[in-house]
Amino acid sequence: MRFDRDKVPDGDRLRREARVAGLRDFRTPSLEAVERRRKQLWLVMTIVIASVAAGVMVVARPAGSSPHMLSEPLLRLSVIVLAVACCAYAIEKEVHLGRATRMLTDERVLTAALTNRLHEVSLLLDAGRAMNQLLELSELLETVLRSACELLDANGGSMMLAEGDELVTLCVRGREEAVGARLRLGEGVAGHVALRREPVLIEGHVDPKEFPGLADRAPYVESAMSLPLVHRDEVVGVLNVNAAADYAFTEYDLRAVAVFAEQAAAAIANARLYEAERAHVAELIELRHRHIGEVG
Amino acid sequence: MMAPTLKPRVLIVEDDPDLLVVLRVNLTAMGVEPILAGDGRTAISRIQAERPDAVILDVMLPGIDGWSVLEDLHAMGDPVPIVVCSAKKDAEDMERARQLGASGYIVKPFDIDRLIDAVLEATGRSRKREPGRATELGIEGPELA
Repeated sequence: MRFDRDKVPDGDRLRREARVAGLRDFRTPSLEAVERRRKQLWLVMTIVIASVAAGVMVVARPAGSSPHMLSEPLLRLSVIVLAVACCAYAIEKEVHLGRATRMLTDERVLTAALTNRLHEVSLLLDAGRAMNQLLELSELLETVLRSACELLDANGGSMMLAEGDELVTLCVRGREEAVGARLRLGEGVAGHVALRREPVLIEGHVDPKEFPGLADRAPYVESAMSLPLVHRDEVVGVLNVNAAADYAFTEYDLRAVAVFAEQAAAAIANARLYEAERAHVAELIELRHRHIGEVG
Repeated sequence: MMAPTLKPRVLIVEDDPDLLVVLRVNLTAMGVEPILAGDGRTAISRIQAERPDAVILDVMLPGIDGWSVLEDLHAMGDPVPIVVCSAKKDAEDMERARQLGASGYIVKPFDIDRLIDAVLEATGRSRKREPGRATELGIEGPELA
């Protein structure tokens, strides 16, 4: 029966290549073990070839010093056969080591990508848990921004909440003087994001035509993201995050933080509702006190 | 003409694990041997070490981005066919990719069949015909080709 490589699971293929290549721990191969085996193979080949060369020199001594143990044609043939066999062995092992290296590198790339994903998911869960435990708006905004920065390894950002047709900056990391700044919906990057309800990934020069009303101070952004915080079809605010100096955000980052933004929007809407209820209760208590005072 | 018998080897350069897995599975099903890279540095070293028949290159990568990879390969005079994947559909970016030697430019989110066709075309192959799927099988060239 013909062996079909495609139908064999990757793990089995890798173990098979490792076994054929001569790895001692072929059940749990690693790139380091493959490299060790490769070095070992070439060392053995060098020793074998050197030994053969030395042997030939000894056997083929000048005529007269001692009688030849082997006839010259036979000697030549033996050397050629030995050299060809050694080369074929080395090439065959090298082919399998090459395949094992490729598979292990693929596995390492995939593992790294999936580990990153797992780390993000666990950060998202932690952030979601932390956000759901908070009802104080200022504390919540602080937590949302801190979690977003941690999730993306960002070096700063801001949280803006919608108030009528404006966005108000309530929480900032990195440029504290921006707290309290107001922006009309549709103005600048954040205003555009809130109006369009679409996240934006910015890198390099920002086109003022694309974002009318863009502040003069920010025509160049190394790498940043701006996401609308939408809850029950209502924009509650905008989350802005700036990348660290040596990093550029990718679409993958944007997708990860978009999941986070959904949770943040719901938590903010709840906190606002709680604040409104608390204000309402305080108002009722005051009314009651006033009423008791009047009656008394 | 006889069909080439060796499997084409395609390097997928992508940092999104979902996309990495989807492309790997689909390319394997199309008879391509996929190799993977999650960042620009790994991409350059694997291109030099393994000489793939084509490269699917995401532009937005952590560390060295896709543009830097393209520029490096262009500067080295490496003739490997590269299909660039990007969320940006600006003519400026497409032109930049073309000038840096890319053989295709696919805008994200992309249709997987379209990307595979572009890659197969870059490797000089075509999709095998499957009964009942004739309309899907006509190869549409990469946007820059």
